[in-house]
Amino acid sequence: MSDVLTSVLRRRGWTLLLALLLFALPFYLDAFWLRIGLFSMAAAIGAVGIGLLSGTAGQLSLGHAFFLAVGAYGYVWLAGEPGPGLPPALAVLLAVLLAGAAGGLFSPVAGRVKGIYLGVATLALVFLGHHVLLTADSVTGGFNGRSVPPLELGGFSFTEADPGLTVLGVPFGAEERLWYLGLALFALTWFTARGLLRGRPGRALVALRDSETAASVMGVHVAKYRSAAFVVSSMYAGLAGVLLALSFRRVVPDYFSLALSVDYLAMIVIGGLGSVAGATAGAVFVTGLPLLMTRYADQLPLVATPGSGDGSIGPTEAARYLYGAAIVVILLYAPDGLHGLARRTRARLRRRPPVTVPSETGPAPGTSATTARAKEHTP
Amino acid sequence: MTTRTTTPPALHVRDVTVRFAGLTALDDVSFTVAPGTLHAVIGPNGAGKSTCFNVLSGLYRPARGSVRLGDEELTRLAPHRIAALGVARTFQNIVTTQGTVADNLMLGRHVLSRSGFAASALRLPRALREQREHLAAARGIAELTGLGEHFETPVALLSYGDRKRVELARALCLEPRVLLLDEPVAGMNAAERARTAEVVRDIRAELGLSVVLVEHDMGLVMRLADEVTVLDFGKAIAHGTPDEVRGDPEVLRAYLGTETTGEDAA
Repeated sequence: MSDVLTSVLRRRGWTLLLALLLFALPFYLDAFWLRIGLFSMAAAIGAVGIGLLSGTAGQLSLGHAFFLAVGAYGYVWLAGEPGPGLPPALAVLLAVLLAGAAGGLFSPVAGRVKGIYLGVATLALVFLGHHVLLTADSVTGGFNGRSVPPLELGGFSFTEADPGLTVLGVPFGAEERLWYLGLALFALTWFTARGLLRGRPGRALVALRDSETAASVMGVHVAKYRSAAFVVSSMYAGLAGVLLALSFRRVVPDYFSLALSVDYLAMIVIGGLGSVAGATAGAVFVTGLPLLMTRYADQLPLVATPGSGDGSIGPTEAARYLYGAAIVVILLYAPDGLHGLARRTRARLRRRPPVTVPSETGPAPGTSATTARAKEHTP
Repeated sequence: MTTRTTTPPALHVRDVTVRFAGLTALDDVSFTVAPGTLHAVIGPNGAGKSTCFNVLSGLYRPARGSVRLGDEELTRLAPHRIAALGVARTFQNIVTTQGTVADNLMLGRHVLSRSGFAASALRLPRALREQREHLAAARGIAELTGLGEHFETPVALLSYGDRKRVELARALCLEPRVLLLDEPVAGMNAAERARTAEVVRDIRAELGLSVVLVEHDMGLVMRLADEVTVLDFGKAIAHGTPDEVRGDPEVLRAYLGTETTGEDAA
């Protein structure tokens, strides 16, 4: 019995430790950091989706923002007023299925068109989606968007609801509660995506990417698998859209632009194509960087404080330059992304075991005595 | 290992014609691969051997003619349907996918397994069990083809000969009734050739499948083949046992380019 436990610990040790750390974070971090975490988790879910399509199946998509929008607006409409006003939990599920259905509607194209040509075809989706979001006022709220109805699950509300919740002396507001929702959804994404990639569908998609001819003579139904990859990718995008909507508390059309699609491509390239962990790392990088730079703009050289408007580079632009540069550096020196870099580093460390094995846990979360302290707030 | 049937049905190729924009790559080619035999298709470069394979595996649609496996008509079927009927092939230039030997061989199990997106994503017990069973079968085939020790090795790290053998093993993973081998020993050294020839002979003996072989190595063809079809400029110019074909004046003319007066050629 204890043998089983130790072997599980040895194999899953790092994962368990990381999960524990992520679980404890809301007790120590304030809303600003939690929001970065939330957006990163949402982005990671979306990035896993496009990673499956572009990284694994080799199909370029510039339409990811469209499916994020379908998920986000789908939830808002389904759970909100005007709209059917369904129970929010059901609305989440239906919004994900709706995004999948939208991907399915596109599958006659997605199944037949390959690679970069699909990229151009999906470009149309983003423009079409943006136009619909702006003009279909009654559903989408037009230019000003709509506020997002809060998620409630069995009487528990993911907002700072009236019966204020305090856990171990830490007040649990919307961010803290949504954090755990995000963790759960991300865990689901991680579990399912890895299952897919290591299973029969994943191998078929890799084969499709590497050689359509070989895949087809080995019995892979090319059009069917291409479409299925597109649908599954859209469903992850839909889920990411729902989580983004819940975190933003308001959805506006301008967010779901072509730039967002490109951001997602950047995530999987930076993270490393074809890997779930890589997509996650890329998502954290691309999401966190602009937010952090905005936050600490006053301490960075050459970057203007938000709103100063004296012609110098704003933090968001600076972040874009930076991750533009990061993509170039990664493509040049680590074409397999952060994931490949990590794998090679690990292999090198394993080859020379006695050398200091760096602990990757990061700083241990405070001492237990501080659990009850009120959290500092970032201005 | 579950085998489909003990004896494979005959493969009939009838009057197959393929044209590419005015060029006739195959011109009324007919031959029959008798059940369980090794049928070689030979001919000079550009004779239409690979085109013939592409028709058999469904990658090209012939302008005319038909291909039948037993009673099944293959001519209008998509490649994945033909694969599902038990026709597997290898390629002249190596076409493996990224990942380990195991990953490649498991692709060969695609038509024999069923787990779809939902079952794999949710890691349902039956998907995991299926994966385990097929992994065991793939390992068995790796042993059979001499790839056992490389089972977990990334294909990119293997030698040329081993990578060609990965293709052969992957095709075998389909548990085919008909195996199409497109130049399985091209580019190999003598030892690797002998090894592959041995593997081909063994799998035929063990699995009882029909093999269609395209190969330039005449020594190999003459040793392994039960029957030979010779193509030249898209036409089938001779059929017969290796010995019959070897003495055929048309064949000698095609290979040596001499005039068709038989005595000269001999």
